[in-house]
Amino acid sequence: MIQLMQVTYSYPVTSRPALREITLEIPTGQFCALVGANGAGKSTLAYTIAGFIPHFYHGNLAGSVLIDGKETSQVPLSQLVQQVGLIFQNPFNQISGTKFTVREEIAFGLENLGLPRDEMEARIQATLSLVGIEDLAERYPLALSGGQMQRVAIASVLAMRPQVLVLDEPTSQLDPVGSREVFAAVRALIVEGGITVVMIEHKLEWVAVFADRVIALVDGALAADGDPQEVLTDETLVGKTIGQTRYTRAARQAQRSGYWPQDRQLPVTLEQAVDGFRESRGTPAG
Amino acid sequence: MAQSYSLFVARESFVHRLNPLTKLTLTGLLLVSGLFLPGIWTNYLLFVGIVLPLSAAAGVTKQLVRSAWKIVLPFAISLFLIQGFLWPGGTPILYVGPLSLKSEGLQFAVVSTGRILMIVSSFLWFSLTTRPDHLMNSLSRIGFPSNLAYVIVATIQIAPRFQSRAATILDAQRARGLETEGSLRTRARALVPLVIPLVLSSLIDVEERALAVEARAFNRQGPKTFLIELPEAAWEPAARWFMVVLMVSILGLRVYLAITRWRS
Repeated sequence: MIQLMQVTYSYPVTSRPALREITLEIPTGQFCALVGANGAGKSTLAYTIAGFIPHFYHGNLAGSVLIDGKETSQVPLSQLVQQVGLIFQNPFNQISGTKFTVREEIAFGLENLGLPRDEMEARIQATLSLVGIEDLAERYPLALSGGQMQRVAIASVLAMRPQVLVLDEPTSQLDPVGSREVFAAVRALIVEGGITVVMIEHKLEWVAVFADRVIALVDGALAADGDPQEVLTDETLVGKTIGQTRYTRAARQAQRSGYWPQDRQLPVTLEQAVDGFRESRGTPAG
Repeated sequence: MAQSYSLFVARESFVHRLNPLTKLTLTGLLLVSGLFLPGIWTNYLLFVGIVLPLSAAAGVTKQLVRSAWKIVLPFAISLFLIQGFLWPGGTPILYVGPLSLKSEGLQFAVVSTGRILMIVSSFLWFSLTTRPDHLMNSLSRIGFPSNLAYVIVATIQIAPRFQSRAATILDAQRARGLETEGSLRTRARALVPLVIPLVLSSLIDVEERALAVEARAFNRQGPKTFLIELPEAAWEPAARWFMVVLMVSILGLRVYLAITRWRS
């Protein structure tokens, strides 16, 4: 369980806060997507949840951030990382660069935790199959493709058994194939359940299908928080922050010329769009 | 693109199976013997008698000789020419025009070349047969700081990426019309738009890498464990101690000789 209460934060030597009075509660097992324009504070919020603020970035943090009821500022980072795993945009930068096989790369965090060897072996095996990269186990990590590297990074963090996984635009530097691989791996985690996922993601079509909840940030403050269909079709948010899925855009255009069923909510997924257009059958409603 | 600056050549051999510390100690012993034992030909004897057989056993003779040759030859040529002809005083053995070849100069060149050969070849032998991560693993086990170990190994692995990024930036700036060839001034002026993006993007990378390493509990206090079990034959610790004793004795002998010579 993640709880933020009245969190305001500004980076060192800046006066403008990157986060403004954010109050949030994310229950265990929820898959939460974080959307917003560049500079809206998404990454900052991710770092705050993961405890890198205030442990890595100093600056000025007010309010409280609780993970499982404990104030993150009171827990050392090396312990926090076993509760909240953090994945970054650039796959290459997350590979330690000191290991020669994926198996050893996954072990890097476990070695730092001082786990016994048989425990490491067991966790590595379990994580490899959870993320679906058993076939990469003996490969040289720096020679993998972006999508493969990003999945290795996810596995490396998951092997440390965090209850929460925070992903900061994990597919933004990947090609479509790599993005699909990473999404499939994340989806497997959600389906397996038990782990809370907070993911910053611009690919709204994907968010609409898989997220339980969408949180939109504008200028460091919460602008919307709720069910994906509700948040992603919110007209007031379209312009300034997050855009809309292609399905919403199509239906909205149809709605203007009366081709969308009147009391039907705008769609965010392909199925919803198909259903809606089927109902109107290409004739102006009403 | 090279994947790593590591020289390591994977082979199945007795030498590859040795513990990295044993190989490191042997390298140290070779260096100490080469630098401090008396005799003009000592280094060459050590090279032929120890380094070559050991690299043959590891199946890396070709790589070792090829690299060593490239490094040692330029030194050897300049040493022989400069020391041979420009040695002050000395016994001339050959006249070439106004210059004369001195036997003392030649002797000095032989000794110096031998030393360079020993330094280069023993390090090459070590690097060709030892995985850098295994070396750092074994050093960490005996108390070498893990931060330093990380920096050393990660640099070897990651440097090729920086090189390829530099190439990308060069191409990108050229595509925008940057002149990178021509006079010295043109080249100097081209440096700024190449270096600044490289440095800035590297700094951003370093920050993200620091975060990522931190996310893997790198700075946790307390003992670390190791996934890889390093090979270590039962006799190896004893052999290492024996080599250390030998090194100390050679140094002791050297000091003793220096003192007696200084007294007389």
